[in-house]
Amino acid sequence: MNPPILVLILAGGKSERLHPLGRLRTAPALPYGGKYRVIDFSLSNCVHSGLYRIGILTQYAPMSLHGHIGIGRAWDLDRRDGGVRLLQPYVRQRETNWYRGTADALVQNRNVIADAQARHILVLSGDLVTKMDYGPLIARHEERGAALTMVTVTAPNLESERYGYVSADGHGRVRSLNEKPAKPDGAEISAGIYVFRARDLRERLDAPDLGPDLVRDVIQPMIAAGESVDAEPLDSFWRDVGTIDAYFEASQELLKPVPALNLHDHDWPIYTPSEDRAPAIVLGEGDASMSLVAHGARIEGTVRRSILFPGVHVGAGAVVEDSIVLHDTRILPRAVVSRAIVDKGARIGEGAIVGMGESIPNREFPHDLSSGLTVLGKGAEVPAGSRIGRNTIVDMGVRESDFAVREIPPGSYLRARALRRG
Amino acid sequence: MSHVSYAMILAGGLGSRLCLLSEKRAKPAVPFGGKYRIIDFTLSNAVNSGIFDIGILTQYRPLSLRDHIGIGRPWDLDRKRGGVELLQPFQGWLENDWYRGTADAVWQNWSRIDERDAEHVVVLSGDHVYRMDYRPMIEAHLERGADATVAVAEVPLEQASQFGVVRTDAAGWITGFLEKPKNPPSGRISMGVYVFRCAALRQELWKDAERDTPHDFGRNILPALVDGGRVLSYSFPGYWQDIGTLDSYYQANLDLLSCDPPFPLEDSRWPIFTPSTENPPARLGPRASVRSSIVTHGTIVNGTVERSVLFPGVVVEEGAVVRDSIVMGESWIGPSATVDRAIFDKRVHVGRGAVVGHGEATSPNRGCPEHLFQGLTIVGKATRIPEGTAIGRNARIAPDLVEEDFPSGGVPTGEVLERA
Repeated sequence: MNPPILVLILAGGKSERLHPLGRLRTAPALPYGGKYRVIDFSLSNCVHSGLYRIGILTQYAPMSLHGHIGIGRAWDLDRRDGGVRLLQPYVRQRETNWYRGTADALVQNRNVIADAQARHILVLSGDLVTKMDYGPLIARHEERGAALTMVTVTAPNLESERYGYVSADGHGRVRSLNEKPAKPDGAEISAGIYVFRARDLRERLDAPDLGPDLVRDVIQPMIAAGESVDAEPLDSFWRDVGTIDAYFEASQELLKPVPALNLHDHDWPIYTPSEDRAPAIVLGEGDASMSLVAHGARIEGTVRRSILFPGVHVGAGAVVEDSIVLHDTRILPRAVVSRAIVDKGARIGEGAIVGMGESIPNREFPHDLSSGLTVLGKGAEVPAGSRIGRNTIVDMGVRESDFAVREIPPGSYLRARALRRG
Repeated sequence: MSHVSYAMILAGGLGSRLCLLSEKRAKPAVPFGGKYRIIDFTLSNAVNSGIFDIGILTQYRPLSLRDHIGIGRPWDLDRKRGGVELLQPFQGWLENDWYRGTADAVWQNWSRIDERDAEHVVVLSGDHVYRMDYRPMIEAHLERGADATVAVAEVPLEQASQFGVVRTDAAGWITGFLEKPKNPPSGRISMGVYVFRCAALRQELWKDAERDTPHDFGRNILPALVDGGRVLSYSFPGYWQDIGTLDSYYQANLDLLSCDPPFPLEDSRWPIFTPSTENPPARLGPRASVRSSIVTHGTIVNGTVERSVLFPGVVVEEGAVVRDSIVMGESWIGPSATVDRAIFDKRVHVGRGAVVGHGEATSPNRGCPEHLFQGLTIVGKATRIPEGTAIGRNARIAPDLVEEDFPSGGVPTGEVLERA
């Protein structure tokens, strides 16, 4: 395979803005699309692009990611040459540190980069959902002899504080990259997909007193120094899932009559470790439409415009609409779940209502939760007959006994009284 | 338990009563329940019971079975010690014939048992749907010092004549074994699940090999062992379904759809393993209505689906109706088409507005009236039904037909359509 490429996927960051969904996992490990995790897209893109040497840099809450990746079998990455390796911070004889940032994570893995003897290093942000062939990108990068080629996309929304805006000249040469500008210049943003010529990256990483951040301390200085940094536009579906709204919106896209991201694409399948579950079953008075339904789901109620992950049960007379329900959650008879994201293993009691009333922004995090969604953390229990207003967060591990009242007003943040592990 | 660790699964037979479904595949390889093949139940029972050393005896059309089993990974049977092995007929110094029957198949592979120094061996059939822990049965077999132990299920008396009926004494020893009797004395029948003491089995297989018999476990080996007086019965009270006929195949699939199914596919304590296909979750479109049905990964439904089982990759287009049917992988039901009481093999293509299962079931199938009389219409693999065509009931449509093979007036009830 020419030229030799090493892929490094950044998957170690903590996503504060995902609240309970990001407590026990990083954004790349977030379940997505009924059976996948977000990182499956990057990994599947790699193997479809013929890239089989992959390192995944992990640090924050890596357990679910490690369990998911395993030896990489689902992606045919259990290989003699190359394959996938999880790169965790480790203790050294001299100086030991956690990864202090994305650039520091690469610095601490300098030996991995050196040992790979790759001509180019493809650095991917792990929290992206996109289908992309990296082959043409690398070919263009090679052709133009660039030190760095960065993929750009049109910003999917106006949240400028989440993106780095790129301006390039008529030849695709990047002039500037502005992170989180108050007033963005244009709409092209960095997609979090970079190809570095290996020797240029290594030189930068070897610099003394290098700062910890890949964009601020490596890429922006390269642009400022006039190195050949090129932009390569991508015009297919691209989303990052770093916030509750972004995750929900990227998920709902899949339910459109003609989704911009087609999971049923036989030419570009997304791989993931499959679970041994029975096929989904609709029983009794159950009815389902405009939804994605995974194996092991059991529907006896009504499901509309929703995504059900493996093993979700919807009881008789229950209604689930405009919602994302993760693995093995039980929605008991006559409960209603409306515009909610429910994490794994939750239990919604008989006749309970999740998501009702006015959309008053969350009192503690108005910036993160004001669109009317209700978020239930892993294993949360909602007592029978209780009612939960919109923009409410029910933290992971909340038990029935944590409900002092049966009616939780909109914009609340309900926490478990006792801190519980796992 | 350590000395009963090897199982042989009989998977060689030709399932003629399954009509088209088993024409090109062995019966254990017939798809079932949305994502499984029938042999998955026996294989999963074995590994869930701690048996990880398995030989599968194949003869008739083993290719789809071989592809399905592969190296046994879904069952954790890709192992350094044990694992799974397909035992096809072979030529050797003494062996030079196809398997002449189930008993002969085991006899020709006796070296597999010898080289394990096994004292006991489990012999299973590969064409039943059930969930069973073999361990208590093995324990009973060892404790009672039986030559053979036979798992026994209770079926309605009128069905018993299709099976081997057992008579037992008060202590559970089998005193009589009648293979497919005309007038069954009871509904207690052999499930085709056996544990044998190897020395006893070897003696009977050897004797039988020299004789001119059907070389069949039920007809020859078990009656001979029963004469020795050391064959134990082991009652199994759970769900057990033989997939011998189209009717029982259809019924067993529909059993899965009842509100309180007698046989739930999902049971985390006793999972049924199968190779998973790389498919996204089932996608139900804006106009979809899915009721009392199984929808597998990779299906796309934009029409109406009722009381049906859809296998991976089935597409039901807008305005189409699929009712009381079993539709295997990657079939396409075109817009406004109707499918009613039908069994489709894989990759059947139903053109826009076509009707499968039209009118009344007034006459049985011309070609196989004894198997196709209950109103089901069966369509073979990869056949393409032209737009607007009406196909009656009890019809049998051959595989691989193209639009031009269909008469312009449609296919009447009870008809057999073969390539022109």
